[in-house]
Amino acid sequence: MTVLTKTNIDKGLAILKNTQDSKLITNLNSCVHCGLCGESCIYYLTYKDPRYLPAQKVDLITSIYKRYCTFIGKNIPFLTNAKDLDEKNLKEMVDLFFGACTMCGRCNLHCSIGVDIAYLVRTGRMMLAEMGYIPDTIQSTVDASINTGNNMGITKEEFIDTLNWLEDDLKDEVNDEKARIPVDEKDKNILYTLNPREPKFFPLSISAMAKIFYAAKESWTISTSMYDITNYGYFTGNKEEASIIVKRLFDEMKNLNAKELILAECGHGSRAFRWEGPNYLKNKYDFKTITSVELIADYIKTGRIKVDKEKLKQRITLHDPCNLVRNGGIVNEQRYIINQIAKDFVEMTPHGIDNLCCGGGGGQLAMSEYNERRMAIGERKADQIKNTSAQIVITPCHNCVDQLIQINSYYKLNVQIKTLAEIVADAIILE
Amino acid sequence: MAQMEIEGKTFDVDGDGFLSTPEIWTDEVAMLFAKYDGIDIMTDKHWAVVKFIRKNFEEKGNAPMIRSICQETGVKLREIYELFPLGPARGACRVAGLPKPDGCV
Repeated sequence: MTVLTKTNIDKGLAILKNTQDSKLITNLNSCVHCGLCGESCIYYLTYKDPRYLPAQKVDLITSIYKRYCTFIGKNIPFLTNAKDLDEKNLKEMVDLFFGACTMCGRCNLHCSIGVDIAYLVRTGRMMLAEMGYIPDTIQSTVDASINTGNNMGITKEEFIDTLNWLEDDLKDEVNDEKARIPVDEKDKNILYTLNPREPKFFPLSISAMAKIFYAAKESWTISTSMYDITNYGYFTGNKEEASIIVKRLFDEMKNLNAKELILAECGHGSRAFRWEGPNYLKNKYDFKTITSVELIADYIKTGRIKVDKEKLKQRITLHDPCNLVRNGGIVNEQRYIINQIAKDFVEMTPHGIDNLCCGGGGGQLAMSEYNERRMAIGERKADQIKNTSAQIVITPCHNCVDQLIQINSYYKLNVQIKTLAEIVADAIILE
Repeated sequence: MAQMEIEGKTFDVDGDGFLSTPEIWTDEVAMLFAKYDGIDIMTDKHWAVVKFIRKNFEEKGNAPMIRSICQETGVKLREIYELFPLGPARGACRVAGLPKPDGCV
């Protein structure tokens, strides 16, 4: 950890002193301490510790803002609960902003006056990033991305070997020697992205998308130099690093001259590139970028792929990834798809934009020091799944998939966890 | 740093239960870690996967790609997820005594 100096304190405070950011200033001055956010937060619901109240997280950053940016706070701090940015409060910031929040945004939804609490937590992370207080465990994932081009350090050779291996499988699966996984081809309709955990450890979802593209007779390609949709710079709050990662994908899109960029089933990656990306680059994209969830729904709706409606007989439930659903507004497409192939689909309670976070968001999966908390807050998701009596849990986010795999084992749920592409690929009728 | 106790033996691990000192790994450690994950018997297939991952780590310093694991051991992809319910990373790599890989795993 960095030693706290005046210079790095000033770097952190510069984020709060940015008077250009009216959204930040409004949110910093708005919490009325009604406490409604408490019941929305999986950390507070699990531990019932007032420290974990979302309002308490808001209060921590607000008290520092008051101390350095308001007249009363500067002169008579105790009158307005203004606090110094010292070692003690810094430790608390790291613990609450990195270790006790997945930035799922459920508290925003329940806030009586609409404070963007997750944005304030992210601002807190941005301050910590400026001061050099990002936990090493999450920074190493960003470093891997920046230094190797993907967050798992996969070499180009290993990546190509994997795609060739999957292409052989695809040929068998669709019984067509001409079936392909095209790489680095220019002027295609679609450039498809991946989460590096797919080629490294979980490639069934790559095979599934390749089969879907095959069935849709799509013109598509994967880049072997920049395919990584994840962006842990978004989680750490380091804007420069997050921007570098977004810029690389943007540049590769230009290089291969594809018409549309399709985002793999990755909640935070979709958010970082599609919704935050133009802000990072200060540039509006001149190409279409949508998620594979929307693309698959469109393939089915327009008849480009045909699916067997009787395929899935087991009971299915759906986990809504926060960044895609609550924060991204993609709510109906995944339900439309599931209803086309599953006979027995049961929703969790609550679901959709009010769904509970799985507990793995916000970079929690990478920070092993908070593992115990991550498993504890996951109990609510385990209970939600149990209550549906489902045998298969579908979720269009690889990060959620991993947390759900662990919850499945830890709470002995005995369910299967699948991506959306996997169940669609299994149900495809090839003509 | 945390500690994990399995059948009276204590190990230094990270918060996710990955061995902090990969060099102390032995077959016995593998069996204890597997047991902790609910794998009561390490079959030949479990060992083939674990030994290959371990060899790759000792030679190259990281976890192998799933393609190499399948092709080198002959174990089928879907079978690996059945052998190690926590998956190749949190399951097999942890049993093989590797540090936790970066990324969404």
